[in-house]
Amino acid sequence: MTQRANNPVSDLHPEGFTHIDAKGEASMVDVTEKAVTAREAVAEAYVEMQPETLRMIVSGEHKKGDVLAVARIAGIQAAKKTADLIPLCHPLMLTKVKVELTPELENNRIRIETLCKLAGQTGVEMEALTAASVAALTLYDMCKAVDKTMVISGTKVLEKKGGKSGHWQMASDSASVQQDVSQAEVSLQATNEATQGSSVVDVRFFAGLREALGCEQISVPLDSDSLTLAEVKELLITSHADWAEALSAKNLLMSVNQQMAKASAEVKAGDEVAFFPPVTGG
Amino acid sequence: MSCQIHISVQEAEFDLSAVNRAISADRTDIGAIVTFSGLVRDFNEKPDVLALTLEHYPGMTEQALEEIAQEAAERWPLQAVHVIHRVGRLTPGDPIVLVAVASAHRQAAFDGCNFVMDFLKTRAPFWKKENTRHGDYWVSERSSDAAAARRWKEGDV
Repeated sequence: MTQRANNPVSDLHPEGFTHIDAKGEASMVDVTEKAVTAREAVAEAYVEMQPETLRMIVSGEHKKGDVLAVARIAGIQAAKKTADLIPLCHPLMLTKVKVELTPELENNRIRIETLCKLAGQTGVEMEALTAASVAALTLYDMCKAVDKTMVISGTKVLEKKGGKSGHWQMASDSASVQQDVSQAEVSLQATNEATQGSSVVDVRFFAGLREALGCEQISVPLDSDSLTLAEVKELLITSHADWAEALSAKNLLMSVNQQMAKASAEVKAGDEVAFFPPVTGG
Repeated sequence: MSCQIHISVQEAEFDLSAVNRAISADRTDIGAIVTFSGLVRDFNEKPDVLALTLEHYPGMTEQALEEIAQEAAERWPLQAVHVIHRVGRLTPGDPIVLVAVASAHRQAAFDGCNFVMDFLKTRAPFWKKENTRHGDYWVSERSSDAAAARRWKEGDV
């Protein structure tokens, strides 16, 4: 049960390119119906340079000032501008952008790692890549007077969490692998971080219910101070009509903050809610 | 003397005799250790079970097992409760769960072990998916498990 199957008109490219339609024309993907989930992407890039250039940056002797600080701010600014630069990229309300620059003296390069987060309907890897790219360009710009041989390389997505495709991570041998997140605690941590300070409830689904819904985790915005578990379920059914049957199962179990709970239990912002079928361990 | 509680949810196989040794190490007041080992059967709702995959809710599962063990220790004079439950892919014949309960006298250890298993079956978030020759399916709950857990409430044991 994918989100795509719900689209009334199938105008998708037959080979799976999401930004080109069946007629071969560029188009922005309609994400109106996609679930709001906590999303996160990590990207990296490298700027290789002469040892002397790197030494100058690290020691703070560069005449343009603190190169690393400027590149870091440039990366953060760039993440916010991604939708203006990449034609078919959706504008996003980022909730977190982090850019870290690490001088690697032994390799004569600076490593840039970026992290972008939001609770939304589309992924943030383009923002993470843009932040890494612009931080790298800024390093080049600030140092080009002393070193024109600098090389920007290795710009890539390292990790992606949230949304339909779940948790994806670049394998250590550089080949991409799809990871099963059903038991990965990492997704739980991502949820907790993303919900802090925002008025959403994170809802998780397990086992047969997760498969029936095609969703492992979703953020539900709270429009009042608290809701009951029954009301959270109603909100989910209102926003996903095709979930009604699976979520209406009489024997469904529920938990709030990892404690079994009844349908009348109160749920507050930042809580972790889960729905799952009767347990069958032992 | 307080009850020693040990909970583990793991992919690795467990060693029954090592658990027994760990429970009785450095003490001589234990009179009985009752252990229950659950194994993967090759038949269940459908015949020809080739393998099963166990899913759990990291965090909540461990907490639920801890609470069940605590409750057993409140009901009977227990010296130790160890619960090990495996997750991931298992094949018929593989050990899947171990409950070891120690007490000064056998009756409390038998009852405590029985109680922990009954509640593990109905309260701890684990889900089994069976892979059979006829396809994969999620195992459904058994009413006999719910009934077994209920009898502890009714006090007719």
